[in-house]
Amino acid sequence: MLAFLGTIGVAAALIGAILLVVRASVVARGKGGADLAGPVKLVVAGSMTSMAAMQIALALDDFSIAYLANNHATATPFPFDVATAWAALEGSILLWGLVLAGFTWMVFTAYRRAPDRLGAAALAVMGIVAIFFFGLMTTVANPFEVCVAAAERGCLDSSPFPWATADVPIDGRGPNPLLQNHIFMAIHPPLLYLGYVGLTVPFAYAIGALAISVPGAEWLRRSQRGTLIAWSFLTLGIVIGAWWAYEVLSWGGYWAWDPVENASFMPWLVATAFLHSALVQQRRGMLQAWNFVLVISAFALTILGTFITRSGTIASVHSFTQSAIGPTLLGFLVLVLVGSFTLFAQRGHLLASAPRVENMVSREGTFLANNLLLTVFAFVVLIGTMFPIILEAVTGTRVGVRGPFFNRLSVPLSFLLLLLVGIGPVTPWGGATPQLVWKRIRGPLVAGLIAGLLTAVTVTRNGWVVITVVLGVFVIASTGALLVGQAGRRRSKTGEGLAAAIARVTKGDARFWSGQLSHVGVVLVALGISFAANLSQHQEVVMREGDQVVFAGHTITYRAPFQQRHPGKTSSGIRLEVVRPNGSRVTLEPTHNFFPGHPNGVATPAVDTRASGDLYVMLLTLDENRVATVELDTSPMMWVLWLGGLTVAAGGFLSYRNRRQERAPARAEAVGV
Amino acid sequence: MSERTRNLIYGGLIVALIAVVGFLIATNPTEADRVSRLGASIMCPVCQGEAIIHSPSEMAREMMDLIEERVGQGATDQQIIDELTASYGQGILLDPPVSGPTLILWLAPAIALVAGIGAIVWWRRHPSDPGDPTAAPAGRTRTAVTALILIGSAAAVLVAVTSFLQDRDETALGVADLQVEDLDEVSNQTLEAVIAANLDHPQISGMRLALADRYREEGDYRSAFPHYFAVVESETSDAGQRVAALAGLAWITWDGNGEADTALGLLDRALEIQPGSVPVRFLEGRILHCSGQSDRSERVLSDLLQEPSLTVEWKQIVSDELAAVEAREVCA
Repeated sequence: MLAFLGTIGVAAALIGAILLVVRASVVARGKGGADLAGPVKLVVAGSMTSMAAMQIALALDDFSIAYLANNHATATPFPFDVATAWAALEGSILLWGLVLAGFTWMVFTAYRRAPDRLGAAALAVMGIVAIFFFGLMTTVANPFEVCVAAAERGCLDSSPFPWATADVPIDGRGPNPLLQNHIFMAIHPPLLYLGYVGLTVPFAYAIGALAISVPGAEWLRRSQRGTLIAWSFLTLGIVIGAWWAYEVLSWGGYWAWDPVENASFMPWLVATAFLHSALVQQRRGMLQAWNFVLVISAFALTILGTFITRSGTIASVHSFTQSAIGPTLLGFLVLVLVGSFTLFAQRGHLLASAPRVENMVSREGTFLANNLLLTVFAFVVLIGTMFPIILEAVTGTRVGVRGPFFNRLSVPLSFLLLLLVGIGPVTPWGGATPQLVWKRIRGPLVAGLIAGLLTAVTVTRNGWVVITVVLGVFVIASTGALLVGQAGRRRSKTGEGLAAAIARVTKGDARFWSGQLSHVGVVLVALGISFAANLSQHQEVVMREGDQVVFAGHTITYRAPFQQRHPGKTSSGIRLEVVRPNGSRVTLEPTHNFFPGHPNGVATPAVDTRASGDLYVMLLTLDENRVATVELDTSPMMWVLWLGGLTVAAGGFLSYRNRRQERAPARAEAVGV
Repeated sequence: MSERTRNLIYGGLIVALIAVVGFLIATNPTEADRVSRLGASIMCPVCQGEAIIHSPSEMAREMMDLIEERVGQGATDQQIIDELTASYGQGILLDPPVSGPTLILWLAPAIALVAGIGAIVWWRRHPSDPGDPTAAPAGRTRTAVTALILIGSAAAVLVAVTSFLQDRDETALGVADLQVEDLDEVSNQTLEAVIAANLDHPQISGMRLALADRYREEGDYRSAFPHYFAVVESETSDAGQRVAALAGLAWITWDGNGEADTALGLLDRALEIQPGSVPVRFLEGRILHCSGQSDRSERVLSDLLQEPSLTVEWKQIVSDELAAVEAREVCA
């Protein structure tokens, strides 16, 4: 029944997408105004119906659907039962489809307000992408296949026809243990998908503009909202993913340059480059061709990311699924690249007339440098991720490209980027004398160096940490000086208070200042990473009941082991009493969680988070004599990293909000109010 | 204060601060840092892609101890890395080597950066002629060529990756598809990778054993050791595998380290599992022989020769060895 409903939803969305492409192409070619509302509504309604069918099936434990039999269990608690809808391949494509439908609706509402060829062309491109993903759901990744051969738990064989006679297993296998261990894992995929799929919007406008031969800045203006929302969610998704890895994964890190992490980071880097270079085109009309390259690359990288995550090609902690979907996604990726760049090359002569950057000492000059660094960064991540696969395909040799390679290259690139973050915002558009820039940055430079000196004298002489502090304080001082300077000039004119003046200044150019907020977030992230990477302590101890160890100022006593039964999981762990360096006490319970249907448990670390830093305790082994092997780590000021990540995303969201507010009066003008 | 004086003050201050901070960084006592830095750049051979500094395994611990010791003795990073790779192979380097095919990996980012800078410089110097209508057709030819190149390279990538995917299907990193008789055709590195990726797989012990035997035959005892050890310790190994692994361990303990007593102890453990095992008893006799305990060796071997279940081949091998012992020949 629900399989029927879901299948009908997917089919309706697919039909809607096909109709949308056909009709929108007609409008885009200027051959009349066909109705686009119908197809768009069909896509939205279809995808919502199929997701609803999936959620109802999960709520009712309908194991006649193979996806549920293999990824859900009666005992799976809320909210993980809801999140099971996207915990495995087929479901994640279902979520992808739903988010894509949402963004298609967003593009459509813009089109409805002011119907024109560009809007229709963008909708046609959205439709093509939608055809691919809903096509996947009807073929190689069907989430509503009916189980026709049940195992004790789970499903052995399934049929794509919803009318097939179901063989219903008594219970399902339940989601992957790693995925039902923390609330972050339930929200991380939707956030990331909002980011990934959102990048379809600028791609659709870019390809649409090329297809109808009107490359100008209009497509940029239209896709701004989509780009900003996609970038903000992508940032948030990456931060939450890193946080989850830190709280749940047994390797205790937040970032491991795992191929799947890289898959989300590459589009982020390129999208970040695009946010900046789009500004250059809007302000100065430059970098037209470059913006197309960036947008196409960002979109292609999201497809590559999906390929990496979902094809199981690269064995990694995230490759929970393996299937025949790999070649299909790869084919689509090739189609996207070849199709887009061919179109781009054919229309190349239309874009060749843009002005050049006259003076490199200018805002656009710093943006150019920023784009160079960001794209080289993305390229480093790309080659480090893909090279081992390609090398193995060609020569059969396996090489490991892991953390050290990426760190070695990303650290200098990040330092250079930080330096630019401090210089760029104080450099005027159009060109300035080096003296002016020097005058604006010399004070902040001194501030940064003094902070570095203090760090070296009082905290650590670790070079990486000191350099990060110098650059971080430089950026904040430079931005802060700019803000205070502008507010001061305002005060001398209006005589208002400093706080009021600052509020006025930031509101006056909200777009710029939300960008600066993101920059401050980037500084915090850099500091957090640098502290965690260079100042953490690590020790492994074997403890018997009653044993006491002293670690990094903490006195840790092993009180007793314990066992707990929860719905859907069994935990066994140890109770540790910790006396913190300041004398306060806390009880930590690192555990192993076992889930029915999965023989291997998942270690869940216990983390004591404080402003000065985290104490991170992981239970490695616990034997029958109650002897525990425990890993102890301190990560100084981890919260800086999370706060920084959230601040970066907040800057993006604020900018999005301001963009909306800016638009509102413009609309009022247009209708003659 | 004039602008010039200010510039001088700021400039001097900045240079002085850079010098002081730079000096403090450069003179940072780095011994502990070196150990952890080296530990972070070396992969634990028996775990899945983990650096030895983060790995709880016995072997990683030993390697960390070695690094600490060598750093204490004043060895250079390169000397320590050379020593470790001599024992465990190049595969333990988390950093891909700056030679051979992985050289591309290190050069590509630099090339990209230089190309990027070059492109920006070129782009600034060559303003195109805007709105020249004759430019379009020439542009078309160029774009057609570009498109062809793009399609060609995309196709090449597709072919390469598809062939890789098929490869993977055959040798699949999953253990299930690797038949034991296929193992001869699989390289040591691939086996290591398969093992690393399937540590919990019930059939992993057979594969480890095959790999360890291969290392032993190649004389690479150090690589063989962790695998034998893991087979002995693993809950999924069957009795035969455990006995074979104990025998392998015994041999490399004797032949590699000359520890006859330890080796004989390992063989006793094997005999507890499989009393009367012919290969184990033969090995016992041989190790006794080689370690100069000829009387005991004679006893063990002649006992073994009495065994009625002995095959013709074994009878031959055992009696040859016994003859050598009786003649007090030096063991070969």
